[in-house]
Amino acid sequence: MWRGFLHLLKKDFRLMVSGKFFLLALLSLILYSCYINFVYANLDQQIYPVFVYDPQDKLPAAREYVTRLDSREALEAACADQYSVGIDFSHAVPELYMLSCGMETTDHYRMAWGEAVLHGNIDGRAERIGSDNKEMKNRREITAEFLFFELTAVGFLGLASMLFKEKQMGVIRVHGILPVCRPVFILSKLLLLLLSDLVFTLLLTVINLGAAEAVRVLADVLLQAGILSLIMALIGFLCAVRLPDFKQFSLFYLILAVFVTTPVFLAGQTGMKGDWIVYHPMYHLFEAMKGAYFSAPITKVSFYLTCFGTMILLFLLSWQTLNHEMAKEG
Amino acid sequence: MEGLKYQLKSVRRDKMCILTFLLPVVVGIVIHLLSGVNLQSISENRFGVWADHIDADTVDWLQTNGIVTQYETPDELQAAVNDPATQMIGVLQTGNTIQTFISGDELEMNHVIADTLPQIYENQAETLSITKTMIAAASDSDWLHSLLIVMTLAAAMFMGCTFNAMNIISEKEDGIEFINQVLPLTAESYIIQKTLLGFIGGTLSAIITALVCVRIEIEQVLPFLFIILLSAYISAFMGLFIGYFSDGLMAGIASIKVLMILFLAPPIFFYLTVPDGSILFRLSYLLPSSATFYGVMDLLNGQTKALFSSFMALFTHAVLWTIIYILLRKRSEQKQR
Repeated sequence: MWRGFLHLLKKDFRLMVSGKFFLLALLSLILYSCYINFVYANLDQQIYPVFVYDPQDKLPAAREYVTRLDSREALEAACADQYSVGIDFSHAVPELYMLSCGMETTDHYRMAWGEAVLHGNIDGRAERIGSDNKEMKNRREITAEFLFFELTAVGFLGLASMLFKEKQMGVIRVHGILPVCRPVFILSKLLLLLLSDLVFTLLLTVINLGAAEAVRVLADVLLQAGILSLIMALIGFLCAVRLPDFKQFSLFYLILAVFVTTPVFLAGQTGMKGDWIVYHPMYHLFEAMKGAYFSAPITKVSFYLTCFGTMILLFLLSWQTLNHEMAKEG
Repeated sequence: MEGLKYQLKSVRRDKMCILTFLLPVVVGIVIHLLSGVNLQSISENRFGVWADHIDADTVDWLQTNGIVTQYETPDELQAAVNDPATQMIGVLQTGNTIQTFISGDELEMNHVIADTLPQIYENQAETLSITKTMIAAASDSDWLHSLLIVMTLAAAMFMGCTFNAMNIISEKEDGIEFINQVLPLTAESYIIQKTLLGFIGGTLSAIITALVCVRIEIEQVLPFLFIILLSAYISAFMGLFIGYFSDGLMAGIASIKVLMILFLAPPIFFYLTVPDGSILFRLSYLLPSSATFYGVMDLLNGQTKALFSSFMALFTHAVLWTIIYILLRKRSEQKQR
């Protein structure tokens, strides 16, 4: 049996190489890493800038957050972005000038901010209770999201593309008469995909979090990546065996990508989530992945038991479906 | 014309293709339904307080400046402030003053707000002699809503590429490409037939999406249509390129994924972060989707400053990509001979 397994592994590996699977994963890795390092890690938003038109130098010099302008027109132009706050000192009584941004609370705060800058006493320091800075938080957040997206897509699509190619070549029909144990047929594919996903996870984490931070979180991240990879690969296998062609499969994939992962991303990115999201199975996998990256791994035994149970169930279903398909193929 | 009839016939059977074009329309409908919800509330300040340990007046004051959430225990409050998905500022009251705390991973803006909030709270007792002028918002539509609409429209316009690429790759897999080589089909008519399908689909999808979720002035209809037509044409050609270079559905899907990310993410980033006179902003016109994005955004905001540059950039892209594709096909045909 072991010799058969090794042969199957070798065959599946060759299939993955010829399908440019590794090349595409490498391209995704480069694209994601460039985006994280050059764009997302540096994203920030500055506080409302305060523009001042002060022809008679009434405002004491060198105020923090203040930019001086030399005409009323320049002040109005600078405030046209509905974000900046303007102060005009050309009259006897200073005028606070701004364009509404459309949000009452934000406008109120901008007004208070303008007054505070005018007042001059804006000292103080809030207590910091977390351990991350903004850049590291951005890196952890987006790496977790990209990894989740990639594993959901690649595990699912990768296995399916392999299987469809085999279906086309008649490999399933041939296996029906070969003395190869059927679970081994599924296992060899799962093992290869799991290994390639783990290597992808390792590289993505080390490149984008840095070696020191990566070492700290890697054990938890690899565990979650393994769970997600196996579940998605098994779902991919099941769908690929059941659905007649790759086009129908990609239709299913499109629906999965848009309607299943989008709410999860929205909840993860903005904190906007409805109560119903707890019934979304992918949400828990996503939160577990995010938790792993933020050094707060899920410790609930029920989560791991459910994942393990799901994998067993999916494996048995795939096995049965494969048996059914092989019987159909004669 | 006869060839086009056959192409349309094959499209009718292709559920994937129909769904590709319908998807932006569905998203457009969702955005239209969401128009009642103010998406801008995401950008409001968020304050977390420990319930029953803060005065009602303080909560009222905080509510004039942002959204306040009350937590039953300090641990819950700390966990909410520490949650990386939120930008929440924790507020505690001691006597007549307030203290703030944050996680430390927030945007620079929220750092400043948290640092200065106690002082601003104290300032409210003193009244400065100033006049306040607040110009009302030009329109009540929020920018996030416009951004979502433009993203969906851009996606609709560039959907033609998905369709064309999938169509050509599956023809390659079915061996139709070899049949085409022996049929009396010229390179020009092949390009026209294939481009037309993605072009018509992308244009229709964008027009229906626009009808669902955009209200524009009558004089803007023509420039808007012009942008749609040019973008759909370029996108249809991109599909031909993917179809030309990919030899399997898997590689095709991956290329489409990369192209869609490349087409949709950078314009948003450049639009939001790069000042529009800078060299980097001008360089962003190297991506055709940027020109589409800026043009449509201008039209939605009732402006015309980026329209001319958008037209020119899209027109140049259209001509350039057509020439490159024709040259590529000619070269491969020469090789086959």
